Amino acid sequence: MKRPYEKPVINKLRSGLMNKFGWSPAYARKVRTAIDGVSVDELCGQFGSPLFVYSERTARRTYRQMFNAFSTRYPNVEFGWSYKTNYLQAICALMHQEGSIAEVVSAMEYDKARLLGIPGEKIIFNGPHKPMAALEKAVVEGAVVNVDNLDEIVDLETVAKKLNRTVHVGMRLNLDAGIYPQWSRFGFNLESGQALDAAKRIARGGRLKLNGLHCHIGTFIMDPQAYAREITKMVKFGYELREAFGFEMESYDIGGGFPSKSRLKGVYLPPEVAIPGIDEFAEAITHAFSEALKPGDFPKLIIESGRAVIDEAGYLITSIVAAKRLADGTRAYVADGGVNLLFTAFWYKFNVELDREVGGINETSVIYGPLCMNIDAIDEGIQLPPLKRGTRLIFSPVGAYNNTQWLQFIEYRPNVVLVTESGEVEIIREAEDITDIQRRERLPKHLELKNGK
Amino acid sequence: MKDLAIGVSGINAVDNPGPGVGVARSLKEAEDLNARIIGLAYDAMEPGIYMDWVVDRSFIMPYPSGDGAAYFDRLAFIRDQQGLDVLIPNLDAELPLYLKRVGELKDMGIATFLPSMEQFKLRGKDKLAEVAERMDIKLPKTKVCTSLDQLIAAVDELGLPVMVKGSFYKAYAAYTTTQAVSHFHALVAEWGYPVIVQSIVSGEELNVIGVGDGAGGSLGIVGIKKISVTALGKIWTGVTIKHRPMLDAANRFIRELKWRGPFELECIVKGDDVYLIEINPRFPAWVYFATGVGVNLPARLVRHALGVDQPLAPDYEAGKLFVRYSYELVTDMVKFQQAVTRGEVG
Amino acid sequence: MNRLSQLALSDEGFVFDPQTGDSFQVSETGMAVLRALKEGRSDEETAQQLVADFEVSLEEARRDCTDFRGQLKNFGLA
Repeated sequence: MKRPYEKPVINKLRSGLMNKFGWSPAYARKVRTAIDGVSVDELCGQFGSPLFVYSERTARRTYRQMFNAFSTRYPNVEFGWSYKTNYLQAICALMHQEGSIAEVVSAMEYDKARLLGIPGEKIIFNGPHKPMAALEKAVVEGAVVNVDNLDEIVDLETVAKKLNRTVHVGMRLNLDAGIYPQWSRFGFNLESGQALDAAKRIARGGRLKLNGLHCHIGTFIMDPQAYAREITKMVKFGYELREAFGFEMESYDIGGGFPSKSRLKGVYLPPEVAIPGIDEFAEAITHAFSEALKPGDFPKLIIESGRAVIDEAGYLITSIVAAKRLADGTRAYVADGGVNLLFTAFWYKFNVELDREVGGINETSVIYGPLCMNIDAIDEGIQLPPLKRGTRLIFSPVGAYNNTQWLQFIEYRPNVVLVTESGEVEIIREAEDITDIQRRERLPKHLELKNGK
Repeated sequence: MKDLAIGVSGINAVDNPGPGVGVARSLKEAEDLNARIIGLAYDAMEPGIYMDWVVDRSFIMPYPSGDGAAYFDRLAFIRDQQGLDVLIPNLDAELPLYLKRVGELKDMGIATFLPSMEQFKLRGKDKLAEVAERMDIKLPKTKVCTSLDQLIAAVDELGLPVMVKGSFYKAYAAYTTTQAVSHFHALVAEWGYPVIVQSIVSGEELNVIGVGDGAGGSLGIVGIKKISVTALGKIWTGVTIKHRPMLDAANRFIRELKWRGPFELECIVKGDDVYLIEINPRFPAWVYFATGVGVNLPARLVRHALGVDQPLAPDYEAGKLFVRYSYELVTDMVKFQQAVTRGEVG
Repeated sequence: MNRLSQLALSDEGFVFDPQTGDSFQVSETGMAVLRALKEGRSDEETAQQLVADFEVSLEEARRDCTDFRGQLKNFGLA
C-alpha cells in the first residue's frame, strides 16, 4: 500500500524561530474549498482564474450589522455607500437595496450613481474636484454638495445665480481628532478659524445656505474615541453657525474610515483582537453625538460606509503557475494574479487559503504575481507547505478598493462573480479581452504597418 | 488540595527574562497547591523547557499573533491531555488575546485572574495621566503627540532633555530636538501613534509588585529598588524597601481602579513625591523576589482565582537582598528534538 | 567525503549535523530521499524509490528530488 505523497522538505532550525507551529500542517494552514457553498473548482472551471468572487450573503449581513449598530443607538441614521470603495454596479445596487444612499467623489462616480437610477437627492457629492458642469447638474438634481474650498463656494454661487435660487450646501471640515496624519488637505480647517471664515463668506454671499457639516478623519481608524472627538467638535461648530448666521444643521456626516478585519502589515496582533468591533464605534459615536446635541435636536447622522461593509465579502482566487527557488533557497511561487489586481497588497497582509489539503512541513515562502516587476509580491514571508503547480490560493478580504484601484498593466482583468444569497453564481463584470484595451485607441494612417513591416 | 495543573507562559529565562520561571518556582514552593507546572513556550530554546525541577511539562504554542482559534485549540488539547486548572499568562503580547477571549477560557474550565480590557488599556502611556490622578500621585509632565509638529512643540514646552516613548513599549532619552525627532520616527514606524513626550524627573527608580483582588482589596504588595541592572535594563541586584508614599499609592491603585490580577508599577521617587512612569499589567520577571521575602503572589493569585480561603497578605522586611546569577545545565539533545518535532517535552 | 553519511537521522524527522552543530527538521519524504542519498543512490534511483513507496508520478518525484538536492546544497550538506 503506497503512502500519500508530500513534497520533500528540509528546514534548518534557527534560534528564535524554533516553533513547531510555524511549520505545522494543523495550525498554520487554512483550506477553503468553497465560497458560500460553491466549490472553488467549479468557480474556476466555469469562470477561469484568477477570479474575484463576492458573497452577497456576507455583504448584506455585514451591512445590516453595521447599520443596526448605529440605528439602534440613534433614531436618525443614514448610510452613504462610498462608491470609490467598490463601484461595480452590482455591489452599488446591493448597497442601495439595503437602503444606502450614494456617496460619490467625482463626476464619473456621480454619473455612475445616476445611471444606476439613483436620484440626485439620494447622492452626496464630495471631493476636491467638482467640475462646473457636474456641480451645476448636482445642484439642479438636488444632490447634497459638500463644499471643499473657497473656489468651490464661488462656483456654487455662480450656479445659484444662474438658477436664481438659494442653494443648500454642506461644508467639508478638517479637524484634529487625534489621528495622524491629519487630513488637512480636504475642506476647511476648524481649529484655525478657516471654517468659520468660510461660513462668514457663505453668509455674506447670500446665495448659499449651510445645512450640513461633513468631515472624514482618515482611513482605517482603529480608535473609536477619535470619532467621538470628531463629532463633538462638529456639533459644537454647528451650534456656533446657528448662533452667528442662523444656519440650521440638518445633518452631520462623519465620513467613513472604519477598519475591516484586514491585517495591516506591521501590526502584530490579529485583526480579531486588534480591531474594535463596529459596536464599539457606534457606541462611542452615538454617545458623543447625543452628549453634544441640545435636547430635542435629532439631526441626521450620516455614515459613509465602505471598507468595513464590503471588504470581507470579497475573495480573489488565483492559481500557482510556477514554483521556484530563489538564490538564497527561499521557496517562491508565481500566481496568475498579483498587485495588478490586489492594489491593497501594498498595505495588507491577506488571509491566504489553499483550495486543498496539502501535507508536509511548511517552508517560508514568497508569493509573486504575474507582473514583470519587482514590486509584484503579494506575500513576502508566508508559511506554506510545498505546493504543486495548479494549486489555488484564495486571498481575502479583498472587497474594498481593489476593483476600483486595480491596474490594467500588461494583463487582462479577470471575471468578477457574485455568489447570490440563493447560491447562484452571476458574472458582475466580464473578463476583459484585447478589444477593451484597444477600443479607445487610434492608429494614425502613416503608422499602420503593412505585412508587419 | 488535589494536584493542580497550572499553565505558565514566558518561561524564557534568558538575558531579557520572561516572568514564567519565577512564577513557576513560586508556585512550586507553595506546597499546599501541589502544583504541576505546564510550561507554554514559543521556541524550542526557551530555557524553562529544560528546567525540569521547575517546569514539569512544556508545550510549544502557536504564536498569539496568529489565528486566535489555533491558539485556543492548542490550549484545549493541553487541557485534555494534561489537565489545565489555572493559567497565568506572563507576556504582554499574549494579554490582548486572553482578555478578548476570557469567557471562552472559563467555558473550557480554565481559571485565570486577569485585569479587564478597560484596565488593560489604562496602561497605555496616553492614559497614565488619568491613572496618576486617581492614584493621587504625580506624573512627569507629559504630552501625547500624533504629529511631528506636536512633538516639536512638546519638546519646546517641556524643555530638554525629554523621554520619548511609544504608547506601550520602548522609551528613549533625547538630549536634542534632532534626537527626539529621530526617536519619534523610529517609534512611529514600530508602534504607531501616539508617541509620548515626557520631561525627565530625577530621583530614585523604585518599583512595586502586587496583585489586586478586583474588588479594591490587595492580595499583597512588595516595594523594591533596583541596585544594578544589565545592559538591557533588567534587574540584576535589588533590595526590598518600604517607601510609605509609594506603597500607599500602590494601594490606592488597587483600591481606586479595582485592579484585578498582577501588576508592576514603575515609579520615580523624589523625597515624598512619587511619579508614575509605567504600569505593567502582569508579573515582572523578578516576581520571585517577593516570594523570597514571604509574599508569594503567584500562589496567592491562584488560591484567590480558585476561591480558596487564605490569610491576609503577609508583611515583608525592608533590606532583603535580591541577587540574580547565571548558572548552567547540561542535558541531552533528545529534549530539544522532542520540542522541535512533537512540540512537547516532559 | 560524503557529508551526508555523517548526519544523524531520527525517525521523527530530526536531523543533526555533528560536524557543524546544525539541526534540521525534515518531512517524511525528505527523510526517504535523505536515506537514499546517504546510501549513495542516484537521483533517478531515489525518484523511483519514491514512486514505489508513495502515491506520486515519476515526473513529479524527479522534479522534487532535484529540488531537494538544491535545498541540501543550499545548507552545505551536498
